[in-house]
Amino acid sequence: MSIYEWMNERIDLDSVKKFALKKRVPIFYGSVWYYLGGVSLFLFMVQVFTGILLILYYQPGAETAYESVKFIISRVEFGWLIREVHSWSANLFILFAFFHMFTVFFAKAYRKPREMTWVTGMILLMLSLGFGFSGYLLPWNELAYFATKVGSDIAGAVPVIGDFALRLLRAGDEVSGATLTRFYGIHTALLPGIFTVVLGIHLILVQVQGMSVPPEIEKIPEEKRKSIPFFPDFALQDAMAWLIVLNLIALLAVFFPWDLGSKADPLASAPAGIKPEWYFMFMFQTLKYIPAHVLFIEGELFGIMLFSIGGLIWFLVPFLDKKANDGIRTPFWTWFGILLIIYMIVLTAWGYLT
Amino acid sequence: MMKKSIWLYSFLIFSLLFGSNLSQEDACIACHVEVDQELDDEDKIVNHFESDIHIKVGLSCADCHGGDPNAFDDEDEAMWENETFIGAIEKSEQLDVCGKCHSDPLFMRRYSTDVKVDQVSQYKTSGHGISLAEGNDKVAVCTDCHNVHGILPVNDPRAPVYAKNIPETCSKCHSDDTRMFESGLPTNQFDEYKNSVHGVALLENGDIGAPACNDCHGSHGATPPYVENVDQICGTCHSNNKNLFQKSHLNDIFLSKGFGQCEACHGNHDVEKPTDEFLGWSSESACKPCHEDSHPAKLMASHFYQTIDSLKIGLIQAHDMVEKAEHKGMIVSELLFDLEDAKKTLIQTRTNIHSFNNAFVDSGAAPGFVSIQAAINGTNVLLDEVIYRRKGLLAFSLIITIFVIAIGLKVKEWKRIRESEEV
Repeated sequence: MSIYEWMNERIDLDSVKKFALKKRVPIFYGSVWYYLGGVSLFLFMVQVFTGILLILYYQPGAETAYESVKFIISRVEFGWLIREVHSWSANLFILFAFFHMFTVFFAKAYRKPREMTWVTGMILLMLSLGFGFSGYLLPWNELAYFATKVGSDIAGAVPVIGDFALRLLRAGDEVSGATLTRFYGIHTALLPGIFTVVLGIHLILVQVQGMSVPPEIEKIPEEKRKSIPFFPDFALQDAMAWLIVLNLIALLAVFFPWDLGSKADPLASAPAGIKPEWYFMFMFQTLKYIPAHVLFIEGELFGIMLFSIGGLIWFLVPFLDKKANDGIRTPFWTWFGILLIIYMIVLTAWGYLT
Repeated sequence: MMKKSIWLYSFLIFSLLFGSNLSQEDACIACHVEVDQELDDEDKIVNHFESDIHIKVGLSCADCHGGDPNAFDDEDEAMWENETFIGAIEKSEQLDVCGKCHSDPLFMRRYSTDVKVDQVSQYKTSGHGISLAEGNDKVAVCTDCHNVHGILPVNDPRAPVYAKNIPETCSKCHSDDTRMFESGLPTNQFDEYKNSVHGVALLENGDIGAPACNDCHGSHGATPPYVENVDQICGTCHSNNKNLFQKSHLNDIFLSKGFGQCEACHGNHDVEKPTDEFLGWSSESACKPCHEDSHPAKLMASHFYQTIDSLKIGLIQAHDMVEKAEHKGMIVSELLFDLEDAKKTLIQTRTNIHSFNNAFVDSGAAPGFVSIQAAINGTNVLLDEVIYRRKGLLAFSLIITIFVIAIGLKVKEWKRIRESEEV
């Protein structure tokens, strides 16, 4: 009796196999966008793999974090590679997650019955940004320290819960060794746990509901639509994309290594040109140039409110863009997305060029 | 009536200015507020009191000038008929008036336990003091440097005797040709000093640790240093250079020929930032003006220059290599320690040349060359690692490319088979 047969007797693998072999992926002008979700998933797996390896040597703590990262880079065999891959993959992960989100948005793939897939995807993106924010501090270098200080200050400006949120994030009044330990816990235990559960739901929904196609393709009877089998064709093409991305990461890791910089010194004055991670830049830049007061509201608070309302609208798009459910074009939402992308690109470029 | 209202107005302003009614308490002030009305602001005595250290510690006009500060109603009683009244203090009287308190340890201890009380005795030994004793009434006394009224503590940046202001204060007299004519002293010291390494550090960079006039000449006991004292004066800060030079064979030769040790090569007021070209045998050499080409000094100077130049070139080369490795993402912190050691050795070697001893200079420079070599060797290891990584990337990329092509071909083949089956 083979292992497959042994397992099949107990958990009915045949039905899973049958489902997988029966599963087909539509082929049309936009099929290439299907790979973005897969690439994001691959990058998350790279993060988990390299993250586990880094944990073996990383030592959280104000006196040990920077030194342990330095040790990983300079003394551990291939430690530099693991750290570089982790850093580059983290950035590419968020980049591809953004691409994935916008392609889903413009294809209106969030319409009924995939509202929950969109919502879980948005939660995953928020968690990814949380991964980025918490992971940025872990090397305990100067730039990360002050960027975290500025970032957590913004959380402190939220009305009512601001002070509590600030202390919760920092584990005290200031960014300190306690903050580092807290961020380490968030980055390596709390976020991965939640992320895995939400990712599981997201993937199950994708498998159960199948790939979304644009309304005009949807009108074509299913038997007349072009498609390829998920196994092995699409899975192998996905693997090709993964391999290309893996090669890209290796290339970036070797030719564009991340500078560790100097160790964080809480008593030193903030260095010039503190910038957050690129994916927070448009928000940082908005808060930076918003007037001190907008109407009767404090500028920073106004900015936070703006992003909160904007984020909520974006989160609830499947429930607001109801016409899309009936295959009716909704140019308002398309323009909303285009303007958002232009805003994000312009503000980010502005942040880096000034 | 008009006069009375002006007096009242001035009185109110003055009261507000000081927060306490000094003019109500002191007849001198009350009266001088009124009599100085017509003067320019700068000449009004009371205008200087706001920041005056003596007023702040509770002294009054009468403590220096005598008189009765309680005689509000009678000018004669306050001044002319009072036997303690001395009025404006002549230069010849200043040592006694100022020294009355400043030479009295018991009195001065009220204000500070470590306050100096030797200013007057030091002054008497100074060029200024001797000249004053000889009857020269143009010579500088206490008020010429410290001001008359509105005297500020020495650590107040506004004070004329604050470290950064001292050169300017001294130059008021010492750059004045007319005033210096009789004494025969030169008047170019300040012009030379302000362009010197010390002058630039103090006046332009605001480094109050840099020496001003008083650091070499003394302040109250100001006097020109003698040839045999020059090394002690410069050695206050440059102690290693002084110690090495004193032990060198040149020390006695310089003294016997009447050369100021440090000054002979480096100058005095116009002392320049020394360059390595002071060594060697170029036109900038500090040795060449005294030594012939045939003198063994040429060999020694050239040897010093070559040693320092080799350290410098090695350091630049090692630094460039380490920087290159850092740009390629390598951790170079340990190599930076080697560079730092080499830099320290270079600085130490520049000091060591004051021994004028080849063997001593060579032994001091040796660790620098070792550190430079260690940095170069360490960098080579890192640069080899960079090449190894790039080769690894190339191999990895080749494997990935083959895989991608193979998968692509396989998918294409399946597609062809499927399409042929469908047909």
